[in-house]
Amino acid sequence: MGLLALGTPFEWAEAKEHADNVRRLGIQQLIDIWKNYKGNERDVLLWGDETEYLVISFDDEGKQAYLSLRQAEILNELAKYRASEAAKVANGDKPIPTFHPEFGRFMLEATPGAPYNVGWDCLLSVEADMKLRRKIARNHMAPNETPISIPSYPRLGTPGKFTEPYHPPTGSKSRSQFLPDEVINPHIRFPTLAANIRSRRGEKVAINVPIFYDKNTPKPFNDPTVDYDRHLFPEDDDVRNGAAKEGHIYMDAMGFGMGCCCLQITFQAKNISEARNLYDQLCPMGPIMLALTAAAPVFKGFLADQDVRWNVISAAVDDRTKEERGEKPLEKSRFRIPKSRYDSVSTYISDSPRLLPEYNNKDLVIDPEFKEQLMKNGMDEILATHFAHLFIRDPIVIFQETLLAPPDGLADHFENIQSTNWQHMRFKPPPPGESIGWRVEFRSMEIQITDFENAAFAVFIVLLTRVILSYDLNFYIPIDKVEENMKTAHARNAVHEKKFHFRKNLFPTRPVTPTRDEHGRISRPPSPSRAESDADARRAQVDNEYTLLTIDEIINGSKSTSDDEEDGFIGLIPLIESYLNTVNVDVQTRCDLARYLDLVSKRANGQLKTGATWIREFVRGHEDYKGDSVVSDKINYDLMKRVEKLGNGTGELDAFDEQLLGKGWRRV
Amino acid sequence: MTTPPSQLLVRTGNVTSSAAGVVRKGLANSQRELVSALRENFKAAIGEATLSTKREVEDGNIVDPQTWTESVDGVLTVPAKSPYSGQLKEVREGYEVTVKLFFLPGVEQSRHEQHMKQALEQVLSELGTEYVDLLIVSFPDIHFDADDEDEPVVTSEEVPAFVGTYRVAEELQQNGSVRRLGVSEFGSSRLSSLLKHAKVKPGVDQINVRDCCVVPKPLILFAKEKGIDLLTHDDCAEILNEEILGGVLKEFGFEAGWRPEWVVKYTAVVRDRGVVENKGYFAFAQKGGEAAVEKNGNGNGCDGNGFVKLN
Repeated sequence: MGLLALGTPFEWAEAKEHADNVRRLGIQQLIDIWKNYKGNERDVLLWGDETEYLVISFDDEGKQAYLSLRQAEILNELAKYRASEAAKVANGDKPIPTFHPEFGRFMLEATPGAPYNVGWDCLLSVEADMKLRRKIARNHMAPNETPISIPSYPRLGTPGKFTEPYHPPTGSKSRSQFLPDEVINPHIRFPTLAANIRSRRGEKVAINVPIFYDKNTPKPFNDPTVDYDRHLFPEDDDVRNGAAKEGHIYMDAMGFGMGCCCLQITFQAKNISEARNLYDQLCPMGPIMLALTAAAPVFKGFLADQDVRWNVISAAVDDRTKEERGEKPLEKSRFRIPKSRYDSVSTYISDSPRLLPEYNNKDLVIDPEFKEQLMKNGMDEILATHFAHLFIRDPIVIFQETLLAPPDGLADHFENIQSTNWQHMRFKPPPPGESIGWRVEFRSMEIQITDFENAAFAVFIVLLTRVILSYDLNFYIPIDKVEENMKTAHARNAVHEKKFHFRKNLFPTRPVTPTRDEHGRISRPPSPSRAESDADARRAQVDNEYTLLTIDEIINGSKSTSDDEEDGFIGLIPLIESYLNTVNVDVQTRCDLARYLDLVSKRANGQLKTGATWIREFVRGHEDYKGDSVVSDKINYDLMKRVEKLGNGTGELDAFDEQLLGKGWRRV
Repeated sequence: MTTPPSQLLVRTGNVTSSAAGVVRKGLANSQRELVSALRENFKAAIGEATLSTKREVEDGNIVDPQTWTESVDGVLTVPAKSPYSGQLKEVREGYEVTVKLFFLPGVEQSRHEQHMKQALEQVLSELGTEYVDLLIVSFPDIHFDADDEDEPVVTSEEVPAFVGTYRVAEELQQNGSVRRLGVSEFGSSRLSSLLKHAKVKPGVDQINVRDCCVVPKPLILFAKEKGIDLLTHDDCAEILNEEILGGVLKEFGFEAGWRPEWVVKYTAVVRDRGVVENKGYFAFAQKGGEAAVEKNGNGNGCDGNGFVKLN
């Protein structure tokens, strides 16, 4: 979350009247930014990660763990600390990490004090920086509070007390029967966001996560915590109209999704073209990394039959009307929209000739007027299409004051649309007036329990981007296959049991014989696959470019099945090793990087467990577990204690912890 | 053109932008990377040559080497020009250019001076630059064993040999064509011997560590004390030999019997972005008698089982 503007937000009924205006201003701001910054060249690599935490409040006597709602007080303490350190930083000390509010009033977000650069020392400082953030956060909490990093709090929305202090779930913003409005960050933006998403949709959001059927789970399973008899708000009818599905854990508020924690990485590219390329090449990695970082097996007190948070957030902010979702004929709404605002990427954006039309095979919903306007201003069709696609969405929260201020030199209206399109990649134009370049954000990863793991995945992605750029790798597969992979990634233990569409050969193909043009310069013959008349052949070629691979094969490579050594998949870690063998790396760095690559490799090949499997097994092996999928207060307390211990790096690891982290993972 | 050339220079061009096989095969080891890069580059050069002469290449036919090689002053250069070669694209200061020169066994030390200058000259001209940032010298028969706690005693004959060669590197550093010097595979005793004689201190010692967490403590401490960076590499102890070079050459219709004397590897990395823009090799060989052919060129840390397909 960026800076929070103060102001007076419109309720939805009024906000929607201003939606067109905000979109128009947003597009104009985008055009200005594009014109001013499209020529940026040779920006250096800068990158940063964002880590998110849940704040737990322990009652050790009663053996209870709750979500603390003291976000504002804690952030206030952290801001004071930051101010007190400002003098030292001004004198050249390393900037201290920054903390930001998040949607959940029980959450914190932290980022490094300054972006990292390309240096090895920076890459190796990530883990220490993450640990420092956690330590600083903890030092500014009450003695019984602690930050933990798991994607979803196991008992969010359970009957009775799950927050400290208790609040009844009767608020008018979410109108949830499970979550009180008091779990929402009280800054006016957030309750308005929740209320306007609900209003725009015309009912409460409906999140149905498949239940994990254990040996004593009632079958059929009907979520026993749903109250069909409440008559507090009109939306209480939702469940009487079938919003809660059989066989599923039912959740009904934005907080269930936006209360989840993620690990996100942002890179600055050297220019707009490199940013567009990185966006595309990392896009197929989104589902792979989601499955590989899976750490969310419990929702609302039940074990789920999935391991990740993604579709929960997606449904939690799904503001589409029935008409847009295709459940009613289009009358008032402008478009049928196949996906939530929070979902996988629907279109590639590179300007490289490698991006064949066959890869963008989704029937993309766009606003044709905006596309035309962007193209008239010189933007190419592919990029104009991307933004015209983002701009089919309404702004959800509009502050009245922003409509009175002149829009020039700002990006607020553009960002209103851009940053409420929560896709698994984000293409970020430079903020006006600052010396920041074109950036790409990788958004699918789940937060990990320890900073060792978080650093490992962050470093893996950074190294992967360097390999992609050095070897000019090509990850393209048709975008609908990426979407399919995203669904596959949700399955329980997808990382070891599922296969994913992936490109067989990542290397650039080159014609065997280059040709010369009339000036004697080498030119490549036009590939026959680009010819218009040859669409069928091109489609056949594209279909032959990818295959189904396990995540182990993708990460570690696969052995060839015949004598021809080139028919196996090369593996991303072998490629990273090859890169590290090419650049100058010192012994200590190589040794440290090996720990991270080893973790990623072993998560992929099954020698180590994902956070999701580890948590699931912890629950199922707990003495208080009755085999009925229920994660009780007592189990949750013990789990939170264990997660706290791992996250803080205190105490000894036992054999069970080593199944998650491996032996000897802790560095001096 | 009547006297047949007695020296051979082969080049790979830019490996990162050549075909897929190079990186893939390079994963196994640098010897394979070199060999497959040479093969890819030869093929590409032939493709270009046949195109410009409007002739078709038919499978199985060997194209006349004269169309794509160059023979000047007794040096045969293969290929004459590389389709994958590349000058640095951006301003020179933006790059870190590293050159590693492998002196191969069986060459008199007295010829190292000429070889080092020759090798550096090729790299500078390939990249279109006046200097390299780091020159690492790899001496024949010096191998570091991380598992061996007791480093071998440095023999009295070898010190003058490597110091002699190092002198040439120092000269290049002093004339500005090299910024920083490095050595490869030196344990602490060799490093310490070198430091006693060096006028320009080596800034880098590059060691091959498969499991990089087992570097002997004394070496780490010594390097730290002397301000020498310990860098890792993954190069084979034997990067090229006569049999392997002969195998590649034969595929393209050249006679065998070339004895490689040095190999140089260069990389250009964009400093601020960590992107490898250019990487390649040159190798230089002398026409040798039949007697010089050694039957078994494998071993020495690189598994060469059957990857050179003769015919």
